[in-house]
Amino acid sequence: MNSTAVGSKKAHRRRAFSKADRTTLIAFVGIPLFFHLLLVWVPAFLTILLSFTYWSGISISRIKWAGLANYKNIFFDTPAFWEAVQNNVIWLLWFAGIATPIGILLAYQIDRQIRGHKFYETAYYLPVVLSLAVTGIIWDFLLRPDGFVNGLMGRDIDNAFSFFGNYDINIYVILTIASWRHIGYIMLLYLAGLKSVDLALREASALDGATEWQTFKKVVFPAMKPVNVIVIVITIIESLRAFDIVYIIYGSRGGLPILGTLVFSNIAGEGASMKGAAYAVILFLLSIGPIIAYLRTTFKSDVQ
Amino acid sequence: MLEQNNGISRRSVLKGAAVGGLGIAAGGSLLAGCASKATGPLAYGARSVDAGPTAQNEALIAAYTAKTKNEVKYNATESNAFQNNLSQYLQGTPDDTFEWMAGYRMQFFAEQGLLADLTDVWGTIGDQYTDSYKIASTGLDGKQYFVPKSWYPWGMHFRKSMFKDLGLSADTVTNWDEFLKMLDGMKKKGLVGFAAGDKGGWEAMGTFDIINARVNGYQFHVDLMAGREKWTDAKVLEVFKHWEMLIPYMNPNVLDLEWDGAMQLLLQKKAGAMLMGSWFGGNFKEQSQADYDDLSIIPFPEINPEHGRDTVDAPIDGWCVAANGTNNAGGADFLAFAGDMEGVQATLDAKDKDGKSIPMTSANKGQDRSTYDAFQKEQMAVMDEAKYITQFLDRDTRPDFAGPVVGPAIQSWFKNPKDVNKIVDSLQAQWDALPPLA
Repeated sequence: MNSTAVGSKKAHRRRAFSKADRTTLIAFVGIPLFFHLLLVWVPAFLTILLSFTYWSGISISRIKWAGLANYKNIFFDTPAFWEAVQNNVIWLLWFAGIATPIGILLAYQIDRQIRGHKFYETAYYLPVVLSLAVTGIIWDFLLRPDGFVNGLMGRDIDNAFSFFGNYDINIYVILTIASWRHIGYIMLLYLAGLKSVDLALREASALDGATEWQTFKKVVFPAMKPVNVIVIVITIIESLRAFDIVYIIYGSRGGLPILGTLVFSNIAGEGASMKGAAYAVILFLLSIGPIIAYLRTTFKSDVQ
Repeated sequence: MLEQNNGISRRSVLKGAAVGGLGIAAGGSLLAGCASKATGPLAYGARSVDAGPTAQNEALIAAYTAKTKNEVKYNATESNAFQNNLSQYLQGTPDDTFEWMAGYRMQFFAEQGLLADLTDVWGTIGDQYTDSYKIASTGLDGKQYFVPKSWYPWGMHFRKSMFKDLGLSADTVTNWDEFLKMLDGMKKKGLVGFAAGDKGGWEAMGTFDIINARVNGYQFHVDLMAGREKWTDAKVLEVFKHWEMLIPYMNPNVLDLEWDGAMQLLLQKKAGAMLMGSWFGGNFKEQSQADYDDLSIIPFPEINPEHGRDTVDAPIDGWCVAANGTNNAGGADFLAFAGDMEGVQATLDAKDKDGKSIPMTSANKGQDRSTYDAFQKEQMAVMDEAKYITQFLDRDTRPDFAGPVVGPAIQSWFKNPKDVNKIVDSLQAQWDALPPLA
C-alpha cells in the first residue's frame, strides 16, 4: 500500500460523518461554543468598543464617540492608574518570587511523606476552600484597628497598629493575606503533579548519587512541565485579576488602588464612565499578552 | 428657624442646583404624573439595612397600609451596594418608590428620564415644606422628582461632659485661633483633638467642604464644584494649608478608620471633637441614652471673617419614584402620604427594638420643634446660623468626579500632605479630562 491510499482513506473517513455524528457534534461543540461566544466574547468585544466612547451607562442613545480620550485620560491624567500598576507588579513579583515557591516547597516536603504530612496538607489547603471574599472578611476582622490582633496587643482604636492604613506596609499586609490562600492552592496543584512523577526516576537519580536538590532540579522539575505551566499561568492571572480582598477591605473608592478595583470604581454606581471599560481592556491585554506568549513557546517546544 | 431664612436659602440652593445644570440641556419627555387614588400594591426600595431606619420604614409602611389598604413590598439593600447598583436598578425593574438623596444626585437621574415626575405630589403636600426643600427636590426642568424625609447638618460634635472637664464652652470655640487652642488643650490631655476617618474615601470630603466654605466662601465652593473655578487656584491651596494645621491633632490612623471608627473615638471619650453629619446621633442613642444626651454640636469655626460661619453642609435624604417601576401612581401615592405630616408623624413615632424613639429632624415644617430633644435643637441652631446650604461634596459635583477622583486624591493627600501641589494639579487635569456632559 502506498501513502496516497492511506491519505485518501483518511480524507474519505473525515467526510463520512453520519447524521447522528453531526448532530452530536453540533450539540456538544456548537451549543457550548455559542454560549461561550455569547457570554464571553461578545461582552469582551463590546467592552473594547465601549472603551472608545463616553457613556454613563444610562440610555444607549446618549453614547458618544470618544476616540482614545479614555486611554489618554488614564495614561496621562490619572495618578491612581500608575499606583495601581505598581501595586499589581509588586503583587506579581511577590507571588512569583515568594508565594508560589513556598507552595512548591511545601508540596515537595509533603510528598516526601514527612511526619504529620497529612495534617500539614489539610492545614495548608484549608484556606483555599474559602472564597477570596471570605478570606478578606476574616482578615479584616483580625487586623482592623478595633480587631482581634490589636486587641491582643492591648491597643485601643486610637493607638491601634496600622495594618491597612500605613502605605509603607499595607500592600505587603494584603499580599500576606493573599498568599495565605495562594500557597495552599499552588501546593495542592503541585502535589497532584508530584504524585504522577514515576518513582523509578527518583530512585534512578538517587542511585546515580544525586543530592535531593539535584534530583528536584534536574529530574523532578523537568518531568513536571505540564504542571509548571499551569502554576505559572495561575500565578500571573491571580496577580493581575486581584480584586476581592482589596475590595472587601478598602471598598471601591481609592484605598489601595489596583487595576481590578479601578475597573470597578469607574464602571459601577453613579460615577459610571467608560473609563472603567478602558481599564478593563488594559487589564485584559496585560493578562492575555504574557499568557499567550508563554503558552506558545511552551507548546511549540512540546511539538518539537 | 429655617423658614426665616427662606429668602437667602432659596437663592443659595438655586445656585447649588445650577451646579448640575452646567452644560446639561433640559429635556426628555417624562411620564406625566397621574394621581389616582386606587393605586394597588407597590414595592419600596430601602437603601439601608440598619435597625433604626428599618424600624422607621416599617412604621411608615404600616401606617400607609392601614390607611389605604395598599400592600407594600419592602426590599432593603445595604447602602453601598444600593448606590453601586443604582443605574442598573433604575433601568431594570426597580421598586416603585426608593430612598435617595436630594440635589445633583437626584437631578442626574431625573435628567436621564429614570425618575417619575412628582409635581402633583408637591401640589398636595408642598405647603408643608419651605421653599429651600422644594428647590432641592426640583430637577433641572423645573419639575419635582423628590420628596424630602429628613436632614442633618455637618458640624463639630463633642461631648458636653468632656467640654466641661476641659473648661470649654460652645462660645469659646468660634474662630480658628480658638479652635486650634481647643485642639491643643485636648492634645495636652492626651486626647485626639479632631477625630477623623477616611478609609471609605468620602468621609473627609465634609472637611474639605467646610474649610473651603469658611476660607473662600460659599460662592467659590459652589463654583469649584461646578468647574467654574480651578483646583489649582491658590485659594484651594489655602484650604489644604488650613487642613494640614489640623493633622497634628488627628488620630494617626485616619486612613484605617471609616466614619464609624472616628465615631468610636468620640463615643469612647478618646477624642474631644469630630466633624461629622449629625445622623450618627442614632448610633449614640443605640449605645445609651446617657451617651446621646451628652452629645452636642456647634458650627465649624470661622476662619475668614468675611464669610463668618455662613455655610453648612446639610444633606437632605428622601424618596423618589422610579419611572421604570410597575406602579408609578402607587409610588407617588405612597410619597404623598410619606411626605404628609400624617406619614411623617408615623415615622417619628417609630420605636427601636428597645422601645426607644429614633431621633429624626424632619424636613416637614409641621414637625413640632418643641418636641426636639436638646441635640436636635442644637442642630437646628447650626442650620439657623447658616445663610447658605450645601449638600455634600459627593452630592454637589459630578458623580464621575467625586467618587473616583476626589476621594482617592484626598486619601493621597493624607498619605503625604507635602504633595499638595501635585494633587491639585492632578485634580484639575482629571476634571479637564472628564467627558462633556451629554
